[in-house]
Amino acid sequence: MAATNRGTFFSGAGLVWKWQRLVWWVFAVCLIFGFFSTQEMTERAASLLNHSMAAQRLVNGFDVGAITELLQLPDSPLAIQGHNIVHFSMLFVVFMLFATGGILAAYVLDEKPTTTAFFEAAGHHFWRFFRLLIYLAIVLLPIAGLAAASNAIHTHIDEQSISPYSADHFGEAAVVAILMLLILVRLWFDMAQVIAVADDEKKMHRALRRALTLLRRNFFSLLWLYLRVSIIAWVLFGIGLHVWMYHVNPQSNVAAFLLSQLMILIWIGTRLWQRASEALWYRDHQANQAPEPAWSPSPAPMYVPVAAEPQA
Amino acid sequence: MRMTKVFVLAAAMAMSCGPIFSQVPAPSQKAIATTPSTDTATKPLSTRIVAYQIEAKLDPTKHTIAASETLTYKNLTGQPQQTFPFHLYLNAFQPQSTFMTEVRRSGTRGNGPDSDWDPKHFGSITVDKLEVEGAGDLTNKLEFIHPDDNNTADRTVFQVTLSKPIAPGASVQFHIVFHDVLPKVVERTGYVRDFDMVGQWFPKVGVWWKNAWNCHQFHANTEFFADFGTFDVKITLPQNEIVGAGGDLASSENNSDGTKTLVYHSEDVHDFSWTASPSFTVVEDSWTGSQGPVNIHLLMSPGHMASAPRYMKALKGSLQLFDQWYGPYPYDRITVVDPPHGGSDAGGMEYPTLITADTGAHMPQGLLAPEFVTEHEFGHQYWYGMVATNEFEDAWLDEGINSYTEVKVMDAIYGHNTSFLNFPFAQLGETEEQRNAYFSLPDMDPISRFAWKFISSDSYGGITYGKTATVLITLEKIIGEDTMRQALHTYFMRYRFTHPTGEDFLKTIEEVSGKDLHWYFNQAIYGTQILDYSLADAHSDPVKWWDTSAHGSKANAKDEVYRTYVTVARKGDFIFPVDVDIKFDDGSAAVEHWDGQDRWVRYQYDRKAKIQSAQIDAHNQITLDRDPFNNSFVKEADPRAVHKLRTIWVFASEWLSQLLAWLT
Repeated sequence: MAATNRGTFFSGAGLVWKWQRLVWWVFAVCLIFGFFSTQEMTERAASLLNHSMAAQRLVNGFDVGAITELLQLPDSPLAIQGHNIVHFSMLFVVFMLFATGGILAAYVLDEKPTTTAFFEAAGHHFWRFFRLLIYLAIVLLPIAGLAAASNAIHTHIDEQSISPYSADHFGEAAVVAILMLLILVRLWFDMAQVIAVADDEKKMHRALRRALTLLRRNFFSLLWLYLRVSIIAWVLFGIGLHVWMYHVNPQSNVAAFLLSQLMILIWIGTRLWQRASEALWYRDHQANQAPEPAWSPSPAPMYVPVAAEPQA
Repeated sequence: MRMTKVFVLAAAMAMSCGPIFSQVPAPSQKAIATTPSTDTATKPLSTRIVAYQIEAKLDPTKHTIAASETLTYKNLTGQPQQTFPFHLYLNAFQPQSTFMTEVRRSGTRGNGPDSDWDPKHFGSITVDKLEVEGAGDLTNKLEFIHPDDNNTADRTVFQVTLSKPIAPGASVQFHIVFHDVLPKVVERTGYVRDFDMVGQWFPKVGVWWKNAWNCHQFHANTEFFADFGTFDVKITLPQNEIVGAGGDLASSENNSDGTKTLVYHSEDVHDFSWTASPSFTVVEDSWTGSQGPVNIHLLMSPGHMASAPRYMKALKGSLQLFDQWYGPYPYDRITVVDPPHGGSDAGGMEYPTLITADTGAHMPQGLLAPEFVTEHEFGHQYWYGMVATNEFEDAWLDEGINSYTEVKVMDAIYGHNTSFLNFPFAQLGETEEQRNAYFSLPDMDPISRFAWKFISSDSYGGITYGKTATVLITLEKIIGEDTMRQALHTYFMRYRFTHPTGEDFLKTIEEVSGKDLHWYFNQAIYGTQILDYSLADAHSDPVKWWDTSAHGSKANAKDEVYRTYVTVARKGDFIFPVDVDIKFDDGSAAVEHWDGQDRWVRYQYDRKAKIQSAQIDAHNQITLDRDPFNNSFVKEADPRAVHKLRTIWVFASEWLSQLLAWLT
C-alpha cells in the first residue's frame, strides 16, 4: 500500500503536469477575475496617485501610513474593494463547481481533455456537485458548532487561568483538531466526487456512502495522500510570502507580481495534484478489487471523447 | 490615559517567559524610611489643599474594600465655604449611571456602543458614615447632585452642607466610613482573577476653580480633576499579595491573622491608587535624573516577562528626555503595573507616580505597543500629574500635549519612521499614527470641547489625542522645534502643581515664540475646520496655441513660448499660508507664497519651458493637511504606486477565491 501510495503521489503529479492546460485554465480564470475585481480601484487610485509626488511613499516600500491615509480619504480609492473582491471570489467558486467535473473526468480517464469533452463532463456533473455542496454545508454545521464550543471553552480557560498560555495551548489544540476534521470532510467529499465521475454515480448520497466506506477502510493511506500535498502547498506558500516580504526589492513591481502569481499557480497546481492523486488512487483501487479490470468508463457514457487534437 | 490599539497577532514564536529578573516573594516588601507629612524639612512643591488619611482592608476573594478616610481640607478659596461636593467615581459602574448610559449610546475605550450589561461589571462606593469635625454626623445630609445632566440615577457626585461655613484659611476635617465593591475590570478599575486594580476608590473632594466648585459627574469620555495634597494610606490585605502603590512604603507589618498592613505616604500629588496580586513578579531598577535617584518598580504579570526590558527601556528613555526637555521629575519613585491577560481594561492609565502599561504574551518586537503605552502614561506624570489640568473640561491639555510629546520622545528613542511599527516589511511612525487617529473622524468636534460633550468616543479619541498632537506638530514647524520645546518647558515650569487653563497654555506659546498665533489657535483649537490644500490644475499650453504650423517643429521647439497655469485651491475651511514650488523642464523654478485666504489662486508664467512639477508645502511643514496626495503634480505619470497596490489586491482577491474554492 505504501508503494502504491508513493506511486500514486508521484503519478498524480505527473498527471497534473501532463494535463497542465487544466492548471493554466483555472489560473487564467482566477487571474482574470482578480483583475476585474480590482479594476475600479485601480482607475480611482490612478487618478489620485499617478501624478502625485506623495505616491512615492508607496513605491519605495510598504508605507502603512500612506495606506491608512488613503483609506481615510473621503472618496478613498481603496474603499470599494471588499465588495468587488467577494463578488468575484464567489463567481470563481461557481466556476470551480462547474469545472471540477471536467477536471476529474480528465484525470479519471487519463485522456487528453479536449474542449468538448471537458465542457460535456463539466456540465454533466455540475448539478451533482451542487447537490454535494448542499450536503457539505449540512456536514459543516456540527463542525461549526464544535468550533463555537471550543471558543467558549477557550474563553472560560482564559478567564480562569492565571497563566495566559493555558488558553493558548487549548486553542492551538482545538484549531488542529478542527482543521483535521475539515481535512477529513474535504477528503471524503473529494472521493465522493471521484466516485461520481468515475462510476457516473447519479445519487450523491450513495456516492457519499461509498466514499465514507472507502475512507474508513483506507483511512491512513488516503489521509496521507491528501495531507502531504497540503503540507507542500503551505510550505511553498510560506516560502513565497517570506521571499516577497523580505527579499523582493520594494520598488520592483514586476518581481512582486510574478512571485505573487507563481504562488497562486503553485497553489492551484497542488490542489489539482490532490484531485489527480485521488482519481488515480480510486482507479487503482477499483482495479485491485476484481480479477478482471474493474474500472471502465460507464456502460453508456453520456459523453464521448472526440478524437485527440494534434499535439502542438 | 492611552487609548491603545494593541493588536494581538498570532505570532509565530511563543515567547519563552522565564523570568529575566528574580522573583521577589510577597511578604518582604521593603519599607523606605520616610517621615510623615508633618515633616517640614522639605519645602512643599505644591499648595497642599487636601490631606487624606485612609485605612483600607481588601478582601481579594470578594474584591471588596472596607475603608475609612479622614480628609483635612484647607479652605484657600478666599471665601467662606459651607457646601462641599465629593466624587464617588466607582458608582459609575452601574447600569443607570450617566457613565454607562453614555457607553451604551456612544461607546468608550474598549467598549463599543450598544455593549450589553454584564453584572460582573457592577461597581460601587457607598458612604456608610460621614462626620464633620465640629458638626457631627451628617450622613443623612448627604445628597446626590447631577451638575451635568438630569440623571437622578447617577450617584457619582454628592454634596454635603455644613451647619456653619468654614472661614477662609481655616481647615475642616471630614471622617468618612465607606466600602467599595470593585467591578470586574472595566474602564481602568477592577479585578480579573487574582489581580485588583484600585483606582478612584475613595470619596474625593471637588476643586474650587474659577470661583466655583468644579465637581463633574463621571462620564464615558472624562477622566479626573483634584487638588494637590498629601496621602497617608494604610492597606491591610493577605500576606501573599504583592502591592504596588503611588506612594513611598513607610512601613510593612505582618499581622497574626495572616494579613499584613502596608503604610504608604505621598506628597504633592492629587490622587492615590494601588494594585495587588499574588502573581506579580517584581522588577526593581533605578534611574538618576537632575533631582536625584528615582526608584523604579515594575510589577509584571505571568507570561509577560519578555516585555519587562521593553517597558524599562521606554521608561528610562522617557524619564531622561522629559527631565532634559521639559523639567525635572521631582518624585523618588515610579511604579509600572503590567495588567494580566484579560485585564487590558486596567492598562494604559496614569496616576501620580503609578502607571499601568499593557502587553501580551506574544507581543511582536515590531509592534511597539508596550513602549508607546509606557511612554504615554509616564508623560502624564507631567501633563496631568504635575500640570494638573481639568481633564473634564480641557482633556486636550493633558491627552493632546502628551500625545505630542509622545511623538517627540518615541521618535527620539525608536526612530521617526519606526516609532509605532517596525517590521522589515512595514514601518509606521508616531506622527502618522496620530494623524490617522485624527482623520478617522476629523470634523465633528473642536479640540476645546468639554470631554463628555463629544459626539462619540471615536471623535473624542481622534480629536483629543490625534488632532491635538497633529496641531502641535504643525505648530512646531511654524515656530521651530527649539522654540516649541522651550515653550513647553516654560509652560511646565510655570504651571506645575497648579491647574492651568487652555488659555494659559496658548499664551505661553505666544509669549515664548514672540508670534501672534491667534489665527492658528482659533481654527485649530476652537474650530472644526479641515485643512486641505490641493493642486487643482497645472498645465502648459503654447502661447500661440492657435498657430498649428509652429508646434512640433524641431526648429521652432527651443523658441516656443509656453504659458503655464498653476491653480492652487483650498478645499477645506482652515486658512493657512502655503508655499508652492514650481519646476520647469528647463531646470528653472519658481516659489509662490499664498496667504490661503481665498478659495483658489492661479499663477501664470510665460516661459520657453513647460511645467515639470508643482508642489504645495514641499518641505512637509503642514502635518495638519488632510490629503497629501493632492498636494502635488508631476507631468510625467508614474503608475508604479498603483501597480504595486494592484498587485497586492489582485493577489488578495485570488487568494480569497482559492480559499472559498475549498468548498468545491
